Amino acid sequence: MSVLLDVRDLTVRFGLPKPSMFAPRPYLEAVRQVSFTLHEGRALGIVGESGSGKTTAAMAAIRLVAASSGQVIFQGEDLLTLSEADMRARRRDVQLIFQDPYSSLNPRARVADIVREPMDLMGIGTPEQRQARVEELFKLVGLRPDQLSLFPHQFSGGQRQRISIARALTTNPRLLVCDEPVSALDVAIQAQILNLLAKLKAELGLSYLFISHDLGVVRHVCDDVAVMYLGKIVEVGARSQLFDAPQHPYTQALLSAAPSLARRKSQGYVRPLKISGDPPSPINPPKGCAFAERCPKAQQICRSTQPTLSGAEGHQVACHFPGPATEAGTAQA
Amino acid sequence: MSALLQIENLQVTFNTRHGQVTALDSVSLSVNAGETLGVVGESGCGKSITALSVMGLLPMPPGRIAGGSIRLNGEELVGASDARLRGLRGSEVAMIFQEPMTSLNPVFSIGDQIAEAIMLHQNVSYDQAFKDAVALLDRVGIPSPDRRARDYPHQLSGGMRQRVMIAMAVSCRPKVLIADEPTTALDVTVQAQIFDLLNEIQRDFGAAIVLITHDMGAISEMADRVAVMYAGRVIEEASADQVLDSPQHPYARGLIDCIPALGKQETELREIPGVVPPLHMLGQGCAFKARCAHARPRCGVEKPLLHNHGAHPVACHGAEEGWV
Repeated sequence: MSVLLDVRDLTVRFGLPKPSMFAPRPYLEAVRQVSFTLHEGRALGIVGESGSGKTTAAMAAIRLVAASSGQVIFQGEDLLTLSEADMRARRRDVQLIFQDPYSSLNPRARVADIVREPMDLMGIGTPEQRQARVEELFKLVGLRPDQLSLFPHQFSGGQRQRISIARALTTNPRLLVCDEPVSALDVAIQAQILNLLAKLKAELGLSYLFISHDLGVVRHVCDDVAVMYLGKIVEVGARSQLFDAPQHPYTQALLSAAPSLARRKSQGYVRPLKISGDPPSPINPPKGCAFAERCPKAQQICRSTQPTLSGAEGHQVACHFPGPATEAGTAQA
Repeated sequence: MSALLQIENLQVTFNTRHGQVTALDSVSLSVNAGETLGVVGESGCGKSITALSVMGLLPMPPGRIAGGSIRLNGEELVGASDARLRGLRGSEVAMIFQEPMTSLNPVFSIGDQIAEAIMLHQNVSYDQAFKDAVALLDRVGIPSPDRRARDYPHQLSGGMRQRVMIAMAVSCRPKVLIADEPTTALDVTVQAQIFDLLNEIQRDFGAAIVLITHDMGAISEMADRVAVMYAGRVIEEASADQVLDSPQHPYARGLIDCIPALGKQETELREIPGVVPPLHMLGQGCAFKARCAHARPRCGVEKPLLHNHGAHPVACHGAEEGWV
């Protein structure tokens, strides 16, 4: 299994307005030294709450947001050092599906033109080949050829997401970045799109960098999962390890917060692990562990020293006191 | 025990450019005090229209309540005067909206907004109302409430704004609390906090809660009883356990099977093909027939009615005749 994408110490900083003309410019570190590896033919999920930096990290990895430092090794070369022209050529191998199928398709273009456009821009094939490819992709994503000349508004949300997927596949990419691809869709439609993504991954050998806040969705789609909190990865591992034996209290809290059919009101469930409050502001991140303030296990060291990601290859955690939820952890704060 | 809120055969129509469409078709629901009724379905199934009808907030025109009744504590709300509805709204029945960002007034402090709701329904001074507002903010878990009460909505996070909405909704101790997808815009850890808060408030105040959601997971954690809606009709109604463990209608089953739940690991999700049909294109028979794997000729001609065919009420010919 070869490595397709290797992100090392990726950091993204955004400049904030200066408090006064002579003061130094403050920065917000949206992504702080994030490292992850995506293997060929696998799906890596990045989960986290809003503001955790999951989208920014993925966008920086494919150079849609400028990274401040770090390396992104894609198929053996560092994307961050490529020239604009070289990067444009590489984009053929890296495509993107957005969250909102309503705003990510040009309302004035016919869907066949939308799907064909990447090939036009990259000069792939003859016009006839492009047209044939569009029709082939339409069939692949489950749309009918007679819908080719329609406009986006004539499709439902799920169908539009299929169009986005077809457009992303036109250039035969190796890597598909999916930014919350189903969170704007109804549950019944979500399942259709998730099944389609699973089918495409198996049939075309695609790799996904899959961003989502929905743990159920990530568990269904992804082979490996990274959990982000306030710009840092707090836990990363294979799906089974992360979901069945989460080590970081934040991962445990996320799992415990996700609604589950197994917890019934009639049986008087009590949420096993509650956390209170909101994540801290990324403008002035805490000195120690970013989760310390909401963490049931937090000790003195958590507030003073940042934990680093450590552990065996395949399951790493950034916590001073990793381990299964303890009695102290289950006690309600 | 007679129900606190009883909706019977509610019929709501809308005038659209496709002619008159029936948004709610003989919807009957009831909630008892201290009980949570989950109303579940995809977008466009009539969940929110039902809520707005109860609140007397249905836009009329184009909407029209064409028939049926909504009784709150025995009092008929259909046809009640605007003044009476204004009196009931907030004090007897209150609503928590989906979008905490847009349902608060950006130019008043949150304490003022909660105090306004209290002063509308109770004969108290502003100072007293503001004090009550601070106490409510404390109750819904907002840290340093006396300082926060002077904050404006933009100074709060999404979860805090939803807490403010809840504080406002319960400020006059309504008997019925309608929560329309109260956590859709929130992160999961915050969603869990809001759910726990709603349950606590129910325990404290004994309010009946109508929880509108599309998430069967939320239903499982929150609801005592469930009504599944599809295309403006209630198609299945029973206790939460009955619906979750032995759903009778293929749509209810589909809604449960299509969730990529944490507890299960399957290679392929069962999907419900297609989408909810537009209301002006329902045609004859069962509205779900085009998406249903079990549809038979009878489904195309005869509209199934909500009947108890054994386990619990369900509107499906297949469940009635035993081929679903």
